Amino acid sequence: MSPSPRKKTAKAARAAVDAELATFASDPELAEMFVADGLDHLGTIEQTVLKLETSPADLELVNDLFRPFHTIKGNAGVLGIGSVEAFSHKLETLLDLARSGSHPMGPIEIELVLNAVDLLRLMIKELPARAAGEVVTDVASRCQHVMAGVDAAIASGATAAVTATGPGEETTDSGATWLAEDSTVKVSTSKLDALVDMVGELVIAQAILAEDPALLRSGDERLSRQLAQVKRITGDIQRDAMSMRMVPIRRTFQKMVRLTRDLSKTFNKPTTVAIVGEETELDRKLVEQLTDPLMHMVRNTIDHGIEPPDVRAAAGKPPTAVISLKAFHRAGGVVVEIADDGAGLDTERIAARAVALGLIPDAGVLTAAEIHQLIFRPGFSTADRVTELSGRGVGMDVVRRNIQALRGRIEIQTERGRGTTFSLQLPLTLAIVDGLVLRVGQDRFVIPTPAVKESLRPRPEDVHTTHGRPCMVQVRERLIPLLHLGDAFGIRGTRERISDGTVVIAEDNGRPVALVVDELLGKREVVIRSLGEMFRGVSGIAGGAILGDGRIGLILDTGGLLALAARTASSGAM
Amino acid sequence: MATTETAATRMSAAAAAGSGGKYLTFMLGREEYGLPVLKVREIIKVMDITHVPQVAAHVLGVINLRGKVIPVIDLRRKFGFPAQEHTERTCIIVAEVELAQATVMMGVVVDAVSEVVNVLASDVDRAPDFGGHDDTDYILGLAKVKGSVKILLDLDRVLGSDGPIAIRPI
Repeated sequence: MSPSPRKKTAKAARAAVDAELATFASDPELAEMFVADGLDHLGTIEQTVLKLETSPADLELVNDLFRPFHTIKGNAGVLGIGSVEAFSHKLETLLDLARSGSHPMGPIEIELVLNAVDLLRLMIKELPARAAGEVVTDVASRCQHVMAGVDAAIASGATAAVTATGPGEETTDSGATWLAEDSTVKVSTSKLDALVDMVGELVIAQAILAEDPALLRSGDERLSRQLAQVKRITGDIQRDAMSMRMVPIRRTFQKMVRLTRDLSKTFNKPTTVAIVGEETELDRKLVEQLTDPLMHMVRNTIDHGIEPPDVRAAAGKPPTAVISLKAFHRAGGVVVEIADDGAGLDTERIAARAVALGLIPDAGVLTAAEIHQLIFRPGFSTADRVTELSGRGVGMDVVRRNIQALRGRIEIQTERGRGTTFSLQLPLTLAIVDGLVLRVGQDRFVIPTPAVKESLRPRPEDVHTTHGRPCMVQVRERLIPLLHLGDAFGIRGTRERISDGTVVIAEDNGRPVALVVDELLGKREVVIRSLGEMFRGVSGIAGGAILGDGRIGLILDTGGLLALAARTASSGAM
Repeated sequence: MATTETAATRMSAAAAAGSGGKYLTFMLGREEYGLPVLKVREIIKVMDITHVPQVAAHVLGVINLRGKVIPVIDLRRKFGFPAQEHTERTCIIVAEVELAQATVMMGVVVDAVSEVVNVLASDVDRAPDFGGHDDTDYILGLAKVKGSVKILLDLDRVLGSDGPIAIRPI
C-alpha cells in the first residue's frame, strides 16, 4: 500500500482550514465543548431576552444577559475564533451599557440581541463543518448589519455619559469558565447513548442467564439468591444510566416561547405563553423529536385557534391570547399539553370540509370527538387561505405521525369560544417497551402492549371471507380487517385455519386490525433496537428486540400493519 | 470542495487497497474471493438468523452479535450462485461497510474462510471490462497468489451501492 496519495489529501485539507480555526480543529475535545457550551449559553440568552421583553426595566435580567455573552466571547477568544469573539464583543458592549443603566433595552435592542443569538447559533453550529473545510453559510454581511445596528443604537441612546467599563469586576476574569466548573461533567451524548446501549445489553444478558434451563433445574438456593442480587443491581444501573440521559423539557418549551413571540407579530395576534412543569424530565432523544411536532402545533394554534384581537374583544375576552404549555408525569409516562384560550375547534366546519374533501361520506354518523380526529387526516386543512406557515394541509397529520413514531398518543379537548387543549401522552423513554411476544411459524414478534386491545380465538362463523380468502373478523358487532402475519411476511409453517390460531386486536389511532398469529408467548419488557439504515422502508416493523434466548424478535408497528392490511385487501391476493 | 475531497480520499483508499495489501480469502462455490482485511471485524459461525420480511432475497435477516443487531447478507445469492445448505464450514464474516455515508457492521455468509494472504501490488490485474455495464465495479482486481486467482472485492460497492435494500413489493 502506498500511503502518499492519502497524505496529500490530508495536507490539502489542513491548508484549507481558516486560520482562526487552527486551535479549534486541532483539539476536537475542546472544540466539541465550545460548541455545546456556546449553544447552551445562547439558549439561556434567548430565554432571558424574552423575559426582558416583558419587564424591560429589570437590570438583573440585563446582567443575566451580559454574562453568557461574555463567556462566549471569552471562550472564543481562548480558541482564537476571532469572528465569534468580535461579534459577541459588540453585543457585550451594548449590554454593558444597558446593565449600568445608561442605555435602556427597548424593542430595537431586544430585536438586535435576538438576531445576534440566531446568527451566533448558526456560526457556532457550523464551526465543525468549517473546520473540516466544508462550505458553510456566509453570515458576514448579516453580522455586519447587526453590528451596525448595535452601533446605531448605542449612538442614539447613550447621550448620557458613556461609561465603557461597567460596575462588576467579572469583565476581567478569564473567559474559559467551563474549566472552572467541576460539580458537573460534560459527557458527549454519543458516549451516553453507548452506555445506555451497553446497559441494555447487560439487562438482557442477565435475563438470559436467569432463564437458563440448567440454572432452573439445579434449584440451588444460594445461587438463585446471588442471581437475584445481580438482577437488583442490574436494574439499579439501568435506572441510573437512563436517568443520565433524561433532560428537562425546558429548552423545548423555550423554543415555543420564541416561536410564539415571532408568530404573534407575523399574524398580529398578541399572544403570551404560560409554562408549567418545565423541569419535567424525559429522554433526551424524545425531547429532540418532540420539538418539531410542538412547533407545528403552536403554529396551528396561533394561525387557526387564536382569534384576531378585535374578535376577542367582541367576545369579551382579553385581547392578548394565552397559550399554556404544561408537562407532567402520569402513569409511568409523560404528558405534554398545549392549551389555548382561542376559538375552539369548529365541529360543523371541520365536518363540512371533510365531506367536501371526500374524507368521509356523511358527517351525521360521527360524534364530535370523531370529527375532531379528522384534523389529523393527511390533506385536511380548513384554512381558507394558504398562509406562510400553516394551511397547506401538512400540519396535523405530520404531528400525529411524529407522536406515533415516539409511541405516543394525542388527544383533543375543545370547547367553542373557550379554546382547545392538545394533550400528548408519551413514554418516559424510547429505549424500552413493554411488549407481547407472539409466535408465527418459527418466528417470534413483539407487539408493544399499549397497541394491543384484546386477543381472542375467533369462532369459524365470525371469520368472513372475500373471494374465498378470510378478510374480516367480527368482534361484538364490529367488523375488523384481518391480517395474517404468516402470509403477509412470507413465513412458512403457520396454522392453516384462523380459528385454530389466535387473533390479536391491535389499534392505531382508533383504527383496529386483527393480527392472525399462532400463539401468544407472554409479556415482557424489551430494549428496542433499530434494524439500521438497511431496513428503512420495511413496513410493519418498528425494530428488533433481543429475546431471552439471545435471538432477535422483530417489533411490530401497528400503523404499518394497518397499511399492509389495506394493501392486501385491495389487491385481493398476495 | 467537500465532495471533491471525500471523492479523492475514497479514490486514494481504493487505489491503495487495489494495489496490494492483506486480504482475507474465502470460497464461494469453486471461486476464491478476497476482502481487505482492514474491513473485517471478525468471523463467526452461522447462528440463528431472524428473517426480515419484504427485503431482497440475498438479505437473510438480522443476527444478535453480542447485543448489536446487524444485517446478514448471503453472498451466494447476491452473486447469483445456486443456493446451498449451510455446512460445517459455512461462516459469517462480519465486516464494516459504508452505507449511505455511514459505517455499518454487516455479516456476509460465505461457504468457507481460507486464509489471510499478502497480495503484492504487482500481482494484481484490473478486472476485465465485460462491456459497458458497471457489473465489475465492485471488483478491485484479480490477484495471482500461489498459482491461483483470487477475486478482490470492494465490499462497499457490493453491498453499499444499492443503498437501503430494495423492498420487494407485496
